[in-house]
Amino acid sequence: MTLTVCITTVIAFIVSPLWAQEAKKAIEVFPSTPYYQFIIFENLAIFWIAIIGLIVILRMKLREIEQRQKLGLDREENDAAPPN
Amino acid sequence: MWPERESRLNCPRLKNWFAERYDIAPLKKLAREKLVPVHGHDLWYYTGGVVLFLFALQFITGMLLSFYYIPHAEHAHKSIIEIVTKLNMGWFFRSLHHWGSQLAIFFLFVHLFATLLFKSYRKPRELLWYSGFILLVTAIFFGLSGYLLLWDERAFAAVRVATGGAGALPIVGDFIKAFLRGGFDVTGETLTRFYAFHVAILPLFTIFLMGLHIIIVQIHGMSTPLSLKDKNVPQVPFFPNILYRDIIVWLVVLGLTVTIATLLPPEIGQKADPLAAPPENIKPEWYFLFLFQTLKIFPGEILGLNGETIAIMLISAGILIFFLIPLLDRKSGRGERSPLFTVVGYAYLAYFLIMTTIGYFT
Repeated sequence: MTLTVCITTVIAFIVSPLWAQEAKKAIEVFPSTPYYQFIIFENLAIFWIAIIGLIVILRMKLREIEQRQKLGLDREENDAAPPN
Repeated sequence: MWPERESRLNCPRLKNWFAERYDIAPLKKLAREKLVPVHGHDLWYYTGGVVLFLFALQFITGMLLSFYYIPHAEHAHKSIIEIVTKLNMGWFFRSLHHWGSQLAIFFLFVHLFATLLFKSYRKPRELLWYSGFILLVTAIFFGLSGYLLLWDERAFAAVRVATGGAGALPIVGDFIKAFLRGGFDVTGETLTRFYAFHVAILPLFTIFLMGLHIIIVQIHGMSTPLSLKDKNVPQVPFFPNILYRDIIVWLVVLGLTVTIATLLPPEIGQKADPLAAPPENIKPEWYFLFLFQTLKIFPGEILGLNGETIAIMLISAGILIFFLIPLLDRKSGRGERSPLFTVVGYAYLAYFLIMTTIGYFT
């Protein structure tokens, strides 16, 4: 009986810090389900495609503006005839 | 067919309604006439725009988080766990807010050192330097106040160290420490106080400073390096050329912030316990590391005086000299080269980088 109590006490001492460690487990800051992780990374890839697409459109527009400026098409003519 | 379609798209009735009430011709003229010099170093101009963009991102993500955050010592930590684990995309917006703040402070430092090394603070732009410097200090305090809102053991210990450091200042130290903490120690009162700073006082102050900074830039125009002073530097209109380039840079920064926020969501530690021992190897955020490392190299006592107080006083003196550089560098103000202040600028940059690196790896 004494032996049983001693062993139980020793086991309780050994195991209790393990429970405490369990309680201190890191908090999940990112979805752990593979399905959600796949959706997140897929969306990240789509997001980058959209950003690159927007950058390409802006670059094309900027080049067009620079071409117009180079040709002087953006300047206002001061002596232009008034519209009829 | 085309003119009709175009006029429909341009909403002429709305335009006329607006034009009858408000004359925006001077604003249009300002936008047309604002020119930006184009040269080999013009890449640095974009860092200011990036900071503006990241601050806007911080305001948006911060507003979203404030819908669910509870600024109370008992509930703050739990409310953040709920934002991260229970709310749809909550983890992402919290991570975006965290990394947005890190990148905003990083680009503020880049902008500051670029201004310093190109001597863009020289006469008549002194106010730009002062307002920008105060904006950096505000951003750092933004970071510190936001860090405590997490109310975990690391944040608690870091704020205790940071506010304790302020307390080492002679004469005003105790007052500053008590004012920041709202008492003798970091408690729930400090959390309430830092929340008020983070969501009300600092945002208003930042908007005012940013507005002032941008208005002064419009008055003076963009600065060119002294090396290009006597050269004929080509200029391009801000609208639309530079605005388009700004948007491209903002898109890249947005992409980077979102990617980092997705791949590296910040951890949440255990709830703060004022009675528990601080966690091991506690370090402040990276932008405090150079101060932290400087404090570490000083002994506890120097010639019978408190070593920490001497260290804080020396750091304060260094920061004050840095702030007053536009007054001290008179040669740049006259449009002459000032190699001494180039060396001073590089020395400050090297000290910041070396101390931050040592602080990070030790």
